[in-house]
Amino acid sequence: MQSSEQVLRVALIGNPNTGKTSLFNMLTGLNQQVGNYPGVTVEKKTGRWALIDGRETELIDLPGTYSLAAASLDERIAVDVLSGHAPGLPSPDLVIVVVDVENLRRNLYLASQASELGVPMVIALNCWDVAEKKGLQIDCKLLEQRLGVPVVPTVAKHGKGTTELDQAVTRAIETRPMLVCPKWPEPIEQALAELRHEFVEQRGETLRNGELQRLLFDRESAVCERLQTAPADYEPILQNTREQLYKAGYQPDAAESVLRFRFLNPLLNDILERQALAVRRSKSESIDQLLLHKVWGLLIFVGMMYVVFQSVYSWAGPAMGGIETLVEWVGNQIGGLLVGMPMIQSLVVDGIIGGVGAFLVFLPQILVLFLFISLLEETGYMARAAFLMDKLFQWCGLNGKSFVPLLSSYACAIPGIMATRTIPDKKARMITILIAPLMSCSARLPVYLLLIGAFVEPRYGPAVAGAALFAMHFVGAIAAAPLAWLLHRALGNSAARPFVMELPPYRIPQFRQTLFRMYESGREFVVQAGTVIFAMSIVIWALLYFPRPESIEQAILAEQQGDPAAAVRAVDAAYLEQSYMGRFGQFMQPVFAPAGYDWKITVGVLASFPAREVIISTLGITYALGGEVDDASKDLRGALANTRWESGPRSGQLVFNLPVALSVMVFFALCMQCGATVAIIAQELDWRWAIGSFFTITLLAWVAAVMVYQIGIRLA
Amino acid sequence: MRLDQIAKNGNFRVVELDSENRCVARLMSMGLLPQQSIRLTHEAPLGDPIAIEFNGCQMSLRLTDAKAVEVEPL
Repeated sequence: MQSSEQVLRVALIGNPNTGKTSLFNMLTGLNQQVGNYPGVTVEKKTGRWALIDGRETELIDLPGTYSLAAASLDERIAVDVLSGHAPGLPSPDLVIVVVDVENLRRNLYLASQASELGVPMVIALNCWDVAEKKGLQIDCKLLEQRLGVPVVPTVAKHGKGTTELDQAVTRAIETRPMLVCPKWPEPIEQALAELRHEFVEQRGETLRNGELQRLLFDRESAVCERLQTAPADYEPILQNTREQLYKAGYQPDAAESVLRFRFLNPLLNDILERQALAVRRSKSESIDQLLLHKVWGLLIFVGMMYVVFQSVYSWAGPAMGGIETLVEWVGNQIGGLLVGMPMIQSLVVDGIIGGVGAFLVFLPQILVLFLFISLLEETGYMARAAFLMDKLFQWCGLNGKSFVPLLSSYACAIPGIMATRTIPDKKARMITILIAPLMSCSARLPVYLLLIGAFVEPRYGPAVAGAALFAMHFVGAIAAAPLAWLLHRALGNSAARPFVMELPPYRIPQFRQTLFRMYESGREFVVQAGTVIFAMSIVIWALLYFPRPESIEQAILAEQQGDPAAAVRAVDAAYLEQSYMGRFGQFMQPVFAPAGYDWKITVGVLASFPAREVIISTLGITYALGGEVDDASKDLRGALANTRWESGPRSGQLVFNLPVALSVMVFFALCMQCGATVAIIAQELDWRWAIGSFFTITLLAWVAAVMVYQIGIRLA
Repeated sequence: MRLDQIAKNGNFRVVELDSENRCVARLMSMGLLPQQSIRLTHEAPLGDPIAIEFNGCQMSLRLTDAKAVEVEPL
């Protein structure tokens, strides 16, 4: 075991689509840790990498970014980590900049910005194979001489060049090579000196040169948020220096790009032959002539999304059935061992195994969805999909990248919410996460089928029933649109990121990366099951189980002489009515009375908050039909259709009529009755958002259900 | 002429950029600077956004942001 001082720290930075993540995976293998940076929702990925001389390094995968200018939190995190200002993370010993050979100039811009933060550097020239194949030639030795840092050709996806990279890094840790920095014109040097004087000398801030540049060049720089100086104090200083720059003839927002490229261009003279580039580009471009075509492009897009959606829906089916069977089998086996201890047996079998099992059932859907997401991203099609759909989403602060996560949410909100990680814009991602639970997921289907089968089909025929089922799938989306717009207005513009998106050249996906992506998403999901869902399952179980006075059972058994099975069902129903959840349902019934619900429906609704599909079996228990009912069950449909009010003003009338059935369906269509979704929102955003969205959507569902019922009974 | 007005596949050159637009500032840090040649490669089916090619890379941007780039035909 080495002490933490001996562990070297190496950061990995690069533009998106450069193969940075492939390189990270190649170097660290499965020794990865994923979390968030303290206080922000930026994914922090670190891994262990053993160098050739046996030294351990902690490799930090920084977010992919084109520039360090503060366009979003990602850039700020990159600046903070490199300068050693991320809480608990000292400045790294070295940074590896992953550079795509085909976009050398643009990629070196980022390297040049990073070098101003004073971290030794090694450059990995990635996608060397593609460049070679296309006859693109780069003089590495000359480049190395001009830049002043080691330049190592790599092919990350095949693991080529990693040994050379390892050697270069091992040497560079000792020699600490620095990339050449531009010599800034006098007015800029002066402005930087002034900032240094004001912040570092006068106010004791620790800011490196590169950070002072970020303060000077970036409008509303994210580095400001980290200053100890109050905004009222630093804003005039920044404004003043930027004005000076302007007077000296340098537009502050443009100065860095112009001057840095002016510095980089001569360094790249004679370094690369670029005729070959045009050939490859035009290949991608001609594919795009078809895939971005006004008619064919859209048709292909719809077709592809159909395949994705169908696969999540149906490929995952058998595996989900398998997990269900397995969970049941494990439950039975363990239940068998615990006979004689009914409470422990119920806790373990119904509470823990049942609760965690019901969550794990979604694992196949997550794996299938991430298989497709990975393929879409690796090939480069994901950016095209976003390009095609962007216009539809602009008005509510979203962009085209929200489409795939929202579509996936129609199968299940959990993989859908996890898929929002493909949205770089934090605000758009947040809104997408918050409206995803409104998309009608597959678990709502049994509720629709049961109620439509019981109340719509017998009266209006199968055609109307089919139309009703179809319409139910849009209720959530219709509610989501204004909600997205409101969130867009409420969240303001501060978190938004400019929507410029690269359409990267088409590439053949790497099997290894795809597997990795699936493994990663699956692992996180299982960890969630083992922690949050485990705890939630126990709580919910207890609410449904306690209190359990034996007198109830005895009284019923004494009364019911005949059918023993009917007696057991009656006991279950009585216990449910007695339980805290049952009592709570009866207590809450007045709240749901405006929607037309009796206490049994209310208990069913409340008991379904952990997982909406529970409604079917809960109704089965409350109507004493035994646990094994499903949406096609004639008994349950009949029981619902014939239930009458037991007391109150409507005593003797039917509980369920068409308005009540519609009201229940609308409630289920909107309500966030899914503990797993709440837990995933908490994981992706935080608990405040998870709880806030839970209450907001529940209220929305209640209002809609009441409206449907009230309008319904007046029309009927 | 502005970037949101140009025809597909014609060759143009950047004359001026409004760097106060954040999208444009971002494109500038990718090398879209005055004198850079530029070409409109695709329009989305609903007319917005557009895809442009410069310096070997293809970027998409929205029409509202494209307004901030002044170009001239080559």
